[in-house]
Amino acid sequence: MNEKLQTHLTPEEVELWATGLLSAARTFHLTECAECLAVAERERKLLVELAQLQRFAPSADFAEKVLAQVRIPAPSGSHHA
Amino acid sequence: MRWARDGYEPAFRELVHRYERPVFSLIYRMVRDRALAEDLAQETFIKVLNAIKSYKPEYKFSSWIFKIANNAAIDHLRRRQLDTLSLDGSPSARSPEEMHASAPQLGDVAESPLDEVESRELGGAIERAIARLRPEYRSCILLRHVEGHSYEEIAKMLDLPLGTVKTYIHRARNELRVYLEGARE
Repeated sequence: MNEKLQTHLTPEEVELWATGLLSAARTFHLTECAECLAVAERERKLLVELAQLQRFAPSADFAEKVLAQVRIPAPSGSHHA
Repeated sequence: MRWARDGYEPAFRELVHRYERPVFSLIYRMVRDRALAEDLAQETFIKVLNAIKSYKPEYKFSSWIFKIANNAAIDHLRRRQLDTLSLDGSPSARSPEEMHASAPQLGDVAESPLDEVESRELGGAIERAIARLRPEYRSCILLRHVEGHSYEEIAKMLDLPLGTVKTYIHRARNELRVYLEGARE
């Protein structure tokens, strides 16, 4: 087995694995290294939790409040909705 | 974007609608105060839209607006920290011990009771764990894992070396795991 396969996964490689993007060659390391597999499983769980965080909405009149304070430049071309 | 730069009003509105939730969410998770987050998000949009003519298309619009939003949140947190440090205890304290005991600590701001809505929105274990991260780590973890920006984009947005961003994100994830495991025990 070559040296790369035996090296523990880096944090970036763990992230790639958790998102399904790690190369097959490096993924193979997880079949032989219980330590890396445990780290990777914990990491995947965390990344799933983070990805599921909701996006909050500001108040309903947020856009109006913003646009009331923006200087919209004079149109420089002709656009039609 | 081009239509907004050309002064087409509906394009401005579209930009606000498209980015209001992600921008507000980032700031809200940074400052953990709904009203304040809304003010800072408004400031962000006003600054960006008023400078739209100077926008450089080679830079991603989302990177530009998140950079300004993050700066607004970090600036606020720094000011708040300075305000807290300048307070040296209750004016009615009668001894140095009482003064020390009544002086607000840095952690007090983040730990103050949230109102009902904030408590519901930010009260979960993962949200509380994120709140415990230092602001630089919090920005990085939110931009990477909630907003999905690349490490390179985050480095540009935060004016940090790429290696620093990687280190911050790695440490932040370790801290989050520790907090969450502690919360579950």
